[in-house]
Amino acid sequence: MIFQKYSSFLLALIVFAVLFAIGMVSPSMWQPIALIMFYIAMGQAFNIFMGMTGYVNFGYVAFLAIGSYGMALGVSRFYQTGIGLWLLFVGFALAIVMAAILSLLVGGIALRLRGAYFAIATIGVNEGLKYLIEGGKFWGGSEGIIISKPMRATFGRHLANSLSTFWADVFLFIIALLAAYLTFRFMHSRVGYALTAVREDEDAAKVMGVNATKYKLIAFIVSSCVAGLIGATTWCLKSTYVFPEDVFEISYTVEAIVIVMLGGSGTLLGPIIGGLIYGICKYWLAVLLPGLQLLILAPLIILIIVAFPGGIVGVIRERIRGTVLDQVIV
Amino acid sequence: MKGKLFKTVFTVAVVLFVACALSMPAGARVPKKVIIGGTISLSGKFAKEGQQSVWGVKAVEKWVNTVHGGVKIKGQAIPVEYKYYDDESKKETVTSLCERLITSDRVKFILAPYSSGLTLAGAPVVDKHGVLYMSHGGASDRIFDQGYSYVVQTLSPASKYQTAPLDMIHQLDPSAKKIAFLFEDGEFSRAVARGAAAHAKKLGFQIVFNRTYPKAAKDLTPVLTELKAAHADVLIGGGHFADGQLLAKQLGDMSIDFKAVSILVAPTLPGFYKALGTMAESFMAPGQWGIGAKYSPQSAKSLGLPYFGPTQQVFMDYFLRESGGVNPDYHGAEAAAAFLAYVYAIEKANSLNPDDVRDTMNKLHFMTFFGEWQIDPETGKQTAHDMVVLQWQGKKLQIIWPRAAQTSKPFYPMLTTKQRASGKLAIPK
Amino acid sequence: MLSGNLLNGIILGAVYGLMTMGLSLIFGVLKVVNVGHGAFIMLGAYVAYWMFTLFGLAPILSVPIGLILGMALGFLFFYLVMKRLLDAPELSTLLATFAIGIFLEEIAKVVWGPDFRGYSWDVGTLHLPIATIPMAKIYALLSSIAIAIALYLWFKKTRAGTALRCLVEDKEGARVCGINVTGFYALSFALGLGFTVLSGVLLTLFIPVGISPYMGGIYTLKAFVIAVLGGLASPWGAFFGGFIFGLVENGSYSLLGLIPNVEPFSLTQFVAFMVLLVILLVKPEGLLGEK
Repeated sequence: MIFQKYSSFLLALIVFAVLFAIGMVSPSMWQPIALIMFYIAMGQAFNIFMGMTGYVNFGYVAFLAIGSYGMALGVSRFYQTGIGLWLLFVGFALAIVMAAILSLLVGGIALRLRGAYFAIATIGVNEGLKYLIEGGKFWGGSEGIIISKPMRATFGRHLANSLSTFWADVFLFIIALLAAYLTFRFMHSRVGYALTAVREDEDAAKVMGVNATKYKLIAFIVSSCVAGLIGATTWCLKSTYVFPEDVFEISYTVEAIVIVMLGGSGTLLGPIIGGLIYGICKYWLAVLLPGLQLLILAPLIILIIVAFPGGIVGVIRERIRGTVLDQVIV
Repeated sequence: MKGKLFKTVFTVAVVLFVACALSMPAGARVPKKVIIGGTISLSGKFAKEGQQSVWGVKAVEKWVNTVHGGVKIKGQAIPVEYKYYDDESKKETVTSLCERLITSDRVKFILAPYSSGLTLAGAPVVDKHGVLYMSHGGASDRIFDQGYSYVVQTLSPASKYQTAPLDMIHQLDPSAKKIAFLFEDGEFSRAVARGAAAHAKKLGFQIVFNRTYPKAAKDLTPVLTELKAAHADVLIGGGHFADGQLLAKQLGDMSIDFKAVSILVAPTLPGFYKALGTMAESFMAPGQWGIGAKYSPQSAKSLGLPYFGPTQQVFMDYFLRESGGVNPDYHGAEAAAAFLAYVYAIEKANSLNPDDVRDTMNKLHFMTFFGEWQIDPETGKQTAHDMVVLQWQGKKLQIIWPRAAQTSKPFYPMLTTKQRASGKLAIPK
Repeated sequence: MLSGNLLNGIILGAVYGLMTMGLSLIFGVLKVVNVGHGAFIMLGAYVAYWMFTLFGLAPILSVPIGLILGMALGFLFFYLVMKRLLDAPELSTLLATFAIGIFLEEIAKVVWGPDFRGYSWDVGTLHLPIATIPMAKIYALLSSIAIAIALYLWFKKTRAGTALRCLVEDKEGARVCGINVTGFYALSFALGLGFTVLSGVLLTLFIPVGISPYMGGIYTLKAFVIAVLGGLASPWGAFFGGFIFGLVENGSYSLLGLIPNVEPFSLTQFVAFMVLLVILLVKPEGLLGEK
């Protein structure tokens, strides 16, 4: 019984373990694997909110961005205090705190709205934050923050490189694990049941006494904080810079949506499968057919939406409906 | 049944990645060719610059292999190959593909991606593996303040962009003292503005207006209304293609005139004139290079410098063949020059070891069709390459500064809106 | 200076408003948010550019061409994609329209190249004491108003328009009355896209440069703000919303310019989105919408 409940989570763990193993064994595969993990993690964090509530957070990338600012500020403002590796802890902590504050502000307003209105409200978050930073000229304004020098000064050249090219990705694995775990916990807890009710029929749920806004907000904040962590590690720590014109790109939100839809939204394995396939396709398309990726992916997306709205996990579910496997893949 | 499912998933995952891993060449090979490679933007926001860069490099790759006879090391002539992947103008893709180039394709001489941000993104990977990284599209001075030792630069840094126009105006008309700055609010433009402001103060100019506009601005009227009221002599500014075009157009719409206008990037493209017609006459822009620049074996000789690479005419021929008739702009030229610099440095070092080549680079000072090349030994920043000033005169883009490189005299002061609207051409006497 | 800014804001606002009417129409009738909105504006811009550059056709006359192209695409995409998604969750249609938008942008890039295009249609300038305005912008203003009025009359006076309004009120009732629901959905979608492409043509009268495959994205965002301002389901609300947006955008520049050590222009964009959030907080159905 318990095994069945945890089996989907275990499956996720196995996928992560396999990816990690391949990356460790074959050094030329580490970066491609890191790229795939980025898509997986990004999809998972997005799914925590969208999958559970059915609402689309079009401002998603703003949370990745603010997380990377958290790390950038942590490193660049505190590196001279001599706390060594604790600097990273400060960076991640700032990322979580800032993402949480932003999501509280945005969620507080936007989550009172339904469906399309919510989506539109969140579109503004992304652009709004970017223009606020550029216009207000804080956090480096449009020039952003570069942390290569502080990192090299604090950690020395080798450790700094290794942080950017290896450890940043290890942190990403840990964050992906965290995201999977959180998704799992939510799905099997009161939060998950409440949100499922909301997703199916929000009015009925409210009538039954479910405090929709509270649970939506919880999912929203958690989703945003995980996104912040991802931004902190993959965008800031790895590339060592944050430029507003770079981190507020709506195309990442789109990718997150695609990954979740491809795999199957609202499921634990959906974003993982979606991220795997999307990452592999992108990587190979960039190598084989440079310049044409989006041209191929766009009609593919339409095809999936029209023919397989439940994503790949949805397709698998149809096949195994009624069998024992039905309880495994959640 | 559960076991079967796990097994299936596991097998699928393994198969997928074995397939990827098999793309790695087995064991180390003695290089029968030199691979110089990099990620470049063939889609996304830098698609245009990326495409120019690819054409430029491919042009000189052919020249090196056919005319020059390959890379000459230790008495042998080895062919050179240019390998590139599309990074979609995205940083995650840059890091993953860069590492692929280094580990899988065994490239030791990397051409950085286009733009300062993406150049920064690849730096940690390159530094970790100890391979060389040549910036041909990343002009920001900050890249070279971070302490990387394997990053070198072929193009002039951002701080130098608008200093040449300032020098020129200062010499042509010492009475023009009031300057207006109107730059795009972006990392690159701000770096240019900073360098320009420092230089302007040094030359005794007075900055009477200093504003920026957001990247995606579609209508500059509010800030231009303010600009008109400042009554400056000269306008320095701009950012990239679209906003530069918009700025020039709306200056004309609102009849705002100056003695000289130098804006970044946009006027260096033929599309600028196509879009604006005679309203584009006498607009200036700084450029890393322009067609007709007088860098040649002869000018190198007169400066006592060695010359390497094709002459400009030969480069143009090869480029036009690669691009199917599209002329090179400075993005294509700077990428080509980066490639040539690598080949020259490798030959001079007589070695394919990145550390040897890097050391040799510190001692080099030479010229290509793109201009002079010399780096600061400690930071790798480009010190000898000069920016040129370009100006639209009589439907053609001419190089007007420095005097040694000019193809035409400057047309100063520039035509007024009224004159341009009547179809007058900016041809100096 | 402020008055010049505001005048410019009104003119730009008219074009913005027209641009958003298509979006509101599609949402009002089909409850679909066209996230690929910007790509269709881009198509309109290219139509104007090519018609002018290849055939010397005055951009004003490209307006009907844009409308027809948009409607053709609308019917095509409706029957091919949207029809199958009418009962699917909202997310699916959001994504479908988005993917269509991306697809159009990529095709544009492959066919026309990523270059920035522009053209120059010089029909003189209007010199007012408060501002200097090219006549092309005045034409854009007048055309936008004329087209908006035409659409309004179509809705109110024609049989097709009335049928459409019935459809929005009560879908089942409309069906019972013999209205071909699917057909009208298709028509609305086509009209909506037609108007969007058309507005792209008019936009080039205002800004004839910077035409490129990815130019549409920024307009999608603005259109959403305006649509919400005016009431997401109300096309004329959108039109007036456009004016307000244009005024706020340009007017706030003068105000923000008074604050030291900031970049006023970037902040005006921030102000625009703050306005959006405030409206959503206070009156989500929009300034002119009904609950």
